[in-house]
Amino acid sequence: MITSPDILYIEDDPDFAFIMNYAVREIKDDLVVSIVEDGNMAIAALKRFEEDKHRPKLILLDLNLPGISGLEVLKKIKEIPYFKYVPVILFSTSDDVRDVKSSLESGANAFLTKPDGYNNLIVCMQSLYDFWFNQNRSIN
Amino acid sequence: MVNIIKYQFECIYSDNFLDYTFLAINMKSFPLDLTNCDKEPIHIPGKIQAHGFLIAVNVDSLTVDFITENIADFISAAPKTLLGGRFEDLENLLELSGLLLPLLKLGQARSSFDTINPYPLKIDSKPYYLIISLSGPLFLLEFEPVTLQYDIQNLIGKSVSEILAGNNLRSLLYNTAKEIKEIIHYDRVMIYKFLEEGHGEVIAEVKEDSLESFYGLHYPASDIPKQARELYKLNYTRIIADVNSASAAILTFNEEPLDLTHSVLRAVSPIHIQYLRNMGVESSFSISLICGSELWGLIACHNYSPKFIDYKAREAAKLIGKIVSSALEYRKEEEESEQYNNYQDALNRLSLQLTKDGDLLTVLMVQENILKDVTGATGVAVLFEDKVATQGKTPDIDQLKDLFSWLQRTVDDAVYYTHRLPEVFHPAKEYKETGSGIIACMIAQDSSELIVWFRPEQITTIDWAGDPNKPAVAAQGGSLCLSPRNSFEIWSQIIEHTALKWTQTEIANVVKVRDKVVTAINKKAGEIRILNDRLKRAYEELDTFSYTISHDLRTPLTLIKSYTELVMVTNKSLDEDGKQLLGRVIAGADKMGFLINEILKLARVGRMEVDMSPLDMDVLIKGVLAEVNFTREGGERAAVTLGDLPVIVGSEILVTQVFTNIIGNAVKYCSTAEHPEIMIGGVDTGEEIIYKIQDNGVGIAIDHQDKVYELFKRMDNVKTFEGTGVGLAIVKRIVEKHNARIWFESELKVGTIFYIAFKR
Repeated sequence: MITSPDILYIEDDPDFAFIMNYAVREIKDDLVVSIVEDGNMAIAALKRFEEDKHRPKLILLDLNLPGISGLEVLKKIKEIPYFKYVPVILFSTSDDVRDVKSSLESGANAFLTKPDGYNNLIVCMQSLYDFWFNQNRSIN
Repeated sequence: MVNIIKYQFECIYSDNFLDYTFLAINMKSFPLDLTNCDKEPIHIPGKIQAHGFLIAVNVDSLTVDFITENIADFISAAPKTLLGGRFEDLENLLELSGLLLPLLKLGQARSSFDTINPYPLKIDSKPYYLIISLSGPLFLLEFEPVTLQYDIQNLIGKSVSEILAGNNLRSLLYNTAKEIKEIIHYDRVMIYKFLEEGHGEVIAEVKEDSLESFYGLHYPASDIPKQARELYKLNYTRIIADVNSASAAILTFNEEPLDLTHSVLRAVSPIHIQYLRNMGVESSFSISLICGSELWGLIACHNYSPKFIDYKAREAAKLIGKIVSSALEYRKEEEESEQYNNYQDALNRLSLQLTKDGDLLTVLMVQENILKDVTGATGVAVLFEDKVATQGKTPDIDQLKDLFSWLQRTVDDAVYYTHRLPEVFHPAKEYKETGSGIIACMIAQDSSELIVWFRPEQITTIDWAGDPNKPAVAAQGGSLCLSPRNSFEIWSQIIEHTALKWTQTEIANVVKVRDKVVTAINKKAGEIRILNDRLKRAYEELDTFSYTISHDLRTPLTLIKSYTELVMVTNKSLDEDGKQLLGRVIAGADKMGFLINEILKLARVGRMEVDMSPLDMDVLIKGVLAEVNFTREGGERAAVTLGDLPVIVGSEILVTQVFTNIIGNAVKYCSTAEHPEIMIGGVDTGEEIIYKIQDNGVGIAIDHQDKVYELFKRMDNVKTFEGTGVGLAIVKRIVEKHNARIWFESELKVGTIFYIAFKR
């Protein structure tokens, strides 16, 4: 059962999801990450969040997803007024400029290439946390 | 040359009737010059040769209208008493009482005197032949002596088989001259052939040993003017018995002159007589050779003393002439068909050749003379894809290029030909010996590719029988007058800038060659296009492949590293050894990650659209220098000197990648030098901007110089340096993408200089 998370992570690869869970806990014990496997589940989860009046602080979205693509999911998220101002960060293995470009054009707030290894992931998540949760608390 | 030249200055049918009348009456005062020579009325000379006599009788009234003044030399009658006299009196005088009129009526009824001529008769016990012909409203009665000296009719059979024994044109003609000489015993018998420009050549000769040879000599067109040729076509034989005997005048009360077109005794133009005298010839005889209803040539017989052969002998000679004429036609066809077969053979070989693989130039030229032999050319040059190849004799390469560019500028047609190139294209004068005649065929529509066949000046020197320009001498008053040449010494003249004309067959063959070549090129182009498409597709697939591979490999690699690190972080029971081992796993994953990134970069160059713009190289290079890892061992010590950094046009991202790689290499490989030095600068050569990146590093071994751009290739002497062997492969690909060039100079332990030349 999906609780009300701080971060919604849409990732089809259970390994990445697993490692992410570790990484997030490393950064802050009480940080809640919900992970959904594909776009449809993500939209469904967001619908429920809306009903519960819960707004995640950050959405991490993998680009390559089964079923509807990351970019489609991104567009759908941005179409829901309730989540309009929730930062959506594209999170992908790719560092192709074209992927970056199309993501930003579709409304992504940032594009992050998945860091290489656990240690780098922690560094990356730490910086995300600092930026989106601490420094820009006013946004949320 | 007697007979041939016989009518040299005789002129026949005038177009102008007024001239005709005037000249007929005023023969002796007819002024010959270069403007009216072709109007000399040679068929109405008003005189006959004196070895016989002539009487002309009116067809209707049977009155004697013309008579020659020498009649008294043959019969006992005063010419003036005969003129206008009664026909019966004439019959009596000729000892033909009651016989002549039936003969005339018979011939008239048959419209031909061929079966009657010659009519033998005796006057004063001497034998004569009467030869009858019609001249307008008149019966022409010509009487000439019977000699019976040469009974050719009996010899003809043998002669003809001798003549036809030869198996080619040359021997046919030689045999003809030989047989003719044997049966009528002239001092010299020649076969004279008319050439295309009107002049002629002696192509066979049989003569007395004491005489100098005329074989191979050329005679100018003025020696045998067109109108004289017409007479040779009407009368197949012509005899001049004695150039030194005075002609006998024709007497008449008529105002109309007597037309002697068909006369056997017709007098010769005084100028022609002079011409023969100048040669020392005293009598001549000629037989026409007709091929395809055109006067092909003459059998010309000269004698150096007066000589007369009678009508029957002449008729027999005429028969030989006719037989040779038909053999000529046959042989000519044979030789033409042989020539045709040769051409066909060359064309077939060429077709076969064109089906073979290889570049067209090689294919066309590999087989000796195959292209040249498609025409009767002596050389051929091909311009194809900016390369020139030749066969046989052609102008030199610079002259060819000059000619090609002239053809490209001036010729619009697919095929162009001339047999007088130097006249239309003056620089060709320099190589007239090889290229006075050309056929050019444009392969490509823009004529950037073409084939040119060459022919030399027809005969660089022609041996003329005397100076052909000499018949004209300045007359009083300044106009040019014709006069017979008085010297027949060989006079060599250069026929300038003129080659043998190209025949229709040759031109047709060139058109065929062009079709074949164009078809072959199109076929090859089609093949190349297909190959190119395949290659392009393969390249694209490879790029997609390497992109996908690199991309998809990253995920598991990241996981390997992540899990390993996770284990190291979370598993507190892990001892130092375990941590070290896991550290090796991570190092391996990093190395692999690096390689994958490099491949990804290389693949991206192929996929990337190049966005060209002028680049501020000062900014770009300084940026690269800032980025390049100077912190590497020894790297920070490198002294960098910057020269001029001119602007180039290229893709900023890609060019940056190139310089990052090259400068990075320079820094890396000179890091072990005592005083690492790097020099970077560019020069503008006008066509290109060449950048030079020089280091004093380890250098590249000579035997590896062509391998440095290969993917994953690392030189033996740099194994200790970090690297993947992908960098220069990327550089090369980017350089190619910019249509630029890259090369280097290097010496082991001295250093390397890389050059990159960008198009302006």
